[in-house]
Amino acid sequence: MLSFLLIIPLLSALAIGLAPERASKGLAMLGSLLALAAGAAVVASFDWGRGSAFQFAAALPVVPELGVTLSLGVDTVALWLVVLTVILQPLCVLGSFSAITERTRTYYASLMALQAAMLGVFLARDLIFFYVCFEFTLVPMYVLISLYGSTNRRKAATKFFLYTFTGSIIALAGLIYVAWVAATRVPDAAGWTFDIATLRSAAQAHLSPTEQGWVMLAMMAGFAVKVPLFPVHTWLPLAHTEAPTAGSVILAGVLLKLGTYAIYRFVLPFVPVAVVEYAHVVAALSIVGILYGGLICWVQRDVKKLVAYSSVAHLGFCMLGMFALNAAGVQGSILYMINHGLSTGALFFLIGFMYERYHTRSLEEVGGLGSKMPIWSTFMVFFMLASVGLPGLNGFVSEFLCVMGAFQSGAYTLGPGGTAGPLGPWYAFIAGFGMIVAAMYLLYMTGRIVFGPLREPPGHDDHGHGHAGSHEGGGLPADLTAREVVVLAPIAALCLFLGVYPKPLIATLEGPVNDKVQMVLSLGNAAGAAPAGAAGGER
Amino acid sequence: MTGLMGGWATLAAAGGGAAAHAAPGIPAPGAGSPIALLLLGLPLLAAALCGVFAATGNRSKLPAFTSVAALGACFGIALMLFLNWNGQPATARAFDWISLDWGAGKGQSFDAHFGVYIDGLTLLWMLFVTGLATVIALYSMEYMSHDVGLGYCRYFAAFNLFVFSMTALVMGDNLLMLFLGWEGVGLCSYLLIGYYYKRAAAVAAAKKAFIMNRIGDLGLLMGILSTFVVFGTIEYAPLFQMIASGKTASGAELASHWSVWGIPLMFAVGAFGKSAQFIFYTWLPDAMEGPTPVSALIHAATMVTAGVFLIGRLYPLFTADPALIALSVVAWAGVITALWAATIEMAIFDIKRVMGYSTISQLGFMFAGMGLLTPTGAAFHTFTHAFFKATLFLGVGAVMHGFGGQLDLRRLSGVMWMRGFGLVGIAMLVGSINLSGVPFTAGFFSKDVILAQAFTTPGTMIWGAQAAAWLLLLTAGMTAYYTFRTFLRVYVGPREFVPGDDAELLDLGRHPKGVSLDEWHAQHGHGHGHGHGHDDHGHGSDHRAAVRPDFDPTTEEFDPHPPGWSMKAAIGLCMVLSILAAGVYFMKPAVGNHGGWVAGMVGQSSAAFASPGEHHGGAAEHAAKLGTFLGYDPHKVMYYVSAGVGLIGILIAAFLHGPRGVWSLFIGNRTSAAVAPRADALANLFGPLTRAARNKYYVDEIYDALVRTPLRVLAHIFHILDQGLVDGLVNLCGALPRMLARSLRPSQSGVLQGYAVGMAAGLGLILIVVWVLMLR
Repeated sequence: MLSFLLIIPLLSALAIGLAPERASKGLAMLGSLLALAAGAAVVASFDWGRGSAFQFAAALPVVPELGVTLSLGVDTVALWLVVLTVILQPLCVLGSFSAITERTRTYYASLMALQAAMLGVFLARDLIFFYVCFEFTLVPMYVLISLYGSTNRRKAATKFFLYTFTGSIIALAGLIYVAWVAATRVPDAAGWTFDIATLRSAAQAHLSPTEQGWVMLAMMAGFAVKVPLFPVHTWLPLAHTEAPTAGSVILAGVLLKLGTYAIYRFVLPFVPVAVVEYAHVVAALSIVGILYGGLICWVQRDVKKLVAYSSVAHLGFCMLGMFALNAAGVQGSILYMINHGLSTGALFFLIGFMYERYHTRSLEEVGGLGSKMPIWSTFMVFFMLASVGLPGLNGFVSEFLCVMGAFQSGAYTLGPGGTAGPLGPWYAFIAGFGMIVAAMYLLYMTGRIVFGPLREPPGHDDHGHGHAGSHEGGGLPADLTAREVVVLAPIAALCLFLGVYPKPLIATLEGPVNDKVQMVLSLGNAAGAAPAGAAGGER
Repeated sequence: MTGLMGGWATLAAAGGGAAAHAAPGIPAPGAGSPIALLLLGLPLLAAALCGVFAATGNRSKLPAFTSVAALGACFGIALMLFLNWNGQPATARAFDWISLDWGAGKGQSFDAHFGVYIDGLTLLWMLFVTGLATVIALYSMEYMSHDVGLGYCRYFAAFNLFVFSMTALVMGDNLLMLFLGWEGVGLCSYLLIGYYYKRAAAVAAAKKAFIMNRIGDLGLLMGILSTFVVFGTIEYAPLFQMIASGKTASGAELASHWSVWGIPLMFAVGAFGKSAQFIFYTWLPDAMEGPTPVSALIHAATMVTAGVFLIGRLYPLFTADPALIALSVVAWAGVITALWAATIEMAIFDIKRVMGYSTISQLGFMFAGMGLLTPTGAAFHTFTHAFFKATLFLGVGAVMHGFGGQLDLRRLSGVMWMRGFGLVGIAMLVGSINLSGVPFTAGFFSKDVILAQAFTTPGTMIWGAQAAAWLLLLTAGMTAYYTFRTFLRVYVGPREFVPGDDAELLDLGRHPKGVSLDEWHAQHGHGHGHGHGHDDHGHGSDHRAAVRPDFDPTTEEFDPHPPGWSMKAAIGLCMVLSILAAGVYFMKPAVGNHGGWVAGMVGQSSAAFASPGEHHGGAAEHAAKLGTFLGYDPHKVMYYVSAGVGLIGILIAAFLHGPRGVWSLFIGNRTSAAVAPRADALANLFGPLTRAARNKYYVDEIYDALVRTPLRVLAHIFHILDQGLVDGLVNLCGALPRMLARSLRPSQSGVLQGYAVGMAAGLGLILIVVWVLMLR
């Protein structure tokens, strides 16, 4: 069943490649809608009672001698990320209709191939298959940025490729080392295997704490670049800024989540001792990212770069929650992956729609669009608020849970509401300043681009008022078209729904997350001193 | 999926909860009427309808009618809840919002429901919030009519969303629901301050309000999280029981636990932010950039009292500390704020900003009341202040509406005697005597409760209570002075005015009704300088002269524009309510026998607290420890003392600013709008001090220099650093593979193929290594 999720995008990529240019738009739309339907079918037939179990398992041996198998499966965590991917994809296709008018075949084929690779990452239950998909995402993304990006696209694409590729190679080395340990140290090992579950138990049982530290470092080298965690985030602003709209949306919406997902899937369970030991380091880097990234956003002149840098700050919260190693933090982290995908994805769409009309992203040249583009502005303010973490919208739920997780983590000495864990209230307090900084830069952004007197680039609107019809911007009307509203409206609806009623997500994520947290903490603490036994003094 | 959705536990009443042993002060809640949830639903529905009107291009006053109807219905529901209330707290739940489980033990689940908690404090707040919201929506119907269309819909959508958020804040049954409302009112405040979004000043003020509030919100958030960690719950009912039991959730003695002072201090920071207390207050004067009805409702009557509500809601926690550290901090923050703001008000000329600072000062009184152990006094003052300050604001709004946005008290005089402004003048007089604390007005009684208790509360309980009391009394005198300074200059005296720069647009019939100013402007091609606030009613007078050098009020015809029926009705209603508010002081409370209706409401809520010395007559042995007013019982003499202080303040105002001539009942010597020799001489006498106060003591500039500028410099440094890091690292990492790729495929210019090949080669290499390892 899951294989449809891979086959449909792959086949449509192929079909787009073979069909004439004019058919590519339609084929991409069809393919992404079919993938959405396949995703819906999986959701409908998923057994929610066993959310922690990997369901719809399927395996196809590829290189049996090496133990390489194309094996698939989803638990609720993977499933919700799959859902995010299949929802964003048709919107990305739809949102590109007017932006991409040349070489559409390559564009849409890359977009669909990218979807296949991303879904592969979430569905993989085999390390090699996971890694192949993880790396393969780079190729279509490279094409998208380098062919369809803006002025600096070549440089950005190269940086993006090199940066993440280098990191991933190191991560692969770490993973292969784990596989080697599994093949050699496990007493009754039947040769090599890359099955993730097998590798996990082997790693937990047979890696010494020192080895775990090195393996964690190796894996983080690859995955943290993707997230991106400070200080290896520097590829992101340029790539985001230069990518075409749909590319930025996918990049922020899903590609970054490959990193956090891989950390959740590999780092946490594979090397729990090292995770518990070094969690505070990762958390500290996350907090630096939150504040550092946020402050940089505040002085940006390029609105797309501002949103790009905001991802550094936002994903800092996501990582902070993850390494709080408790229910609230890890759940918040996973919700963050989804919520950030929605709200930041939508912000990139909005900026893209503006760019198509004004051909500039500079906050100096364009601004005060509230009167000129009321619909666009309404959406802009709405998604800004989702991004700033306003309660009632989706961003708040995940941000609150991440901060709460960090606060509780290790605060068991303070009261029963605390949990075991490596962080503490101070982490939450300092990260909390990130919420103020977020308000500073996001309100600065809307204050410039939505509010204030209308500023347009010189020569933009020479026809004067009254001609509400077309501008030079590709024949687009001043405000959003129905097609563009259709792109944004579903995301807005989801943001609102997940802000008011996140229960469907929280309730289904509870099982797997609680299992994982318990496993990590019990294994991680078993090696060192068991803090749960130590009775903490008051204050 | 159906299982998940079962959580839509359709309006299920929560029942008594786990209240096995009710605390002595606060009984376990009973099942509340689910109708209370409509108070959340109706404003939200109205906001959504305004959105629909905007989308369908409605150009009528329909959004206003919808809002008045929905908010009126809310007031009806609040009234009905109050009338059917049995004096016990009650809860009702709609559905789960954020709830997590990670174990079965105590504190191992987190629950935040969409639910309501109803007690005396809730009902008190809801009654005046919904009541005033209805009246002010009615006022806005006319006030905002220059913007019918998209702007009108936007205004009323935010207005309704505000009422929803305020309701969530006040009625929520847990701290996270309060946080939802807390940030929600902040959002609506942001949207409405920035309503005239083309003006840079309005946008900056809106941004500032939101960010300053967020600083306080961090304190609130930390308080909420600490509460959860220590008490294992953020729901009010179990929280209050645990506090009453004197133990934390882990069984430690609450009285000696850090949380008993630590958590209230965190909440206090949140309260200071939202209620514009000293050091966070600077956003509120700037918030006067918003339309005046918004200032009246949000920035005077309701939202800014959220901090008072928060402290009242968590009063059990604040008072659980034997040393009352947090309450001492609250008291002094209030006193300093009250005094500080009063000194600024005495110097500035913008009548709307005078009202803004006056709100800050009065909020200081409320905080001082909370801190000095009279939650009744604080709640009562909140209640009366809501009505009389709304009256004052609506009156100021009518003047702005009528005189083209003129706000400078040196350019307005004798407004009360002008045709159509009689009611406005009377309303302003009523508001002013309330604010000054003239005997037998509502403001007099409520301020008196605070002052009397301030003198009674011993310094052993609240640090420096006596000094605080004297400062509050001084501030009361200053309040009377600045209030009547404004009144005597603007409303009485010779009839004289200079219209504001909105004059040419709003009057003389040149601006057709029903056409928004933007469009009108576009059609007529007016191009004034930047920042020209032509569509504004609410901005400062500082840049006025520069904006319209061509407008000469002496040669151009200008008729003041008296308020129409809906504005008049709203002003009249507010005025009558602020008079009637005095009456509740004489209503017999449901519990106890002192302090009137408000005391009864507060007594049946989480803020119930026996203020020291409240039941005078008994407990003579305590009398020695209680504070006194120069040896007298403050509760007995304070009526006369505060009345005397207020009258002195008014007399000084009359002496300095009162008009001379026919209309002078006073001893004043003011001859025209601008010329008041005695006042000017006095201002000159204080020279630098007056200048400093007029410039708000340069606090904004100080914040800018100490916080904002360093942060911006830091941000720029980070940005430069980051870009350097990008190039440095990438050049380093990029050099090697690029050379490699070049040597492998010298003829290929495409980098992509190189990397794809490189990737495949790398993968192959690793597989070979694995293969070798396996064969070994």
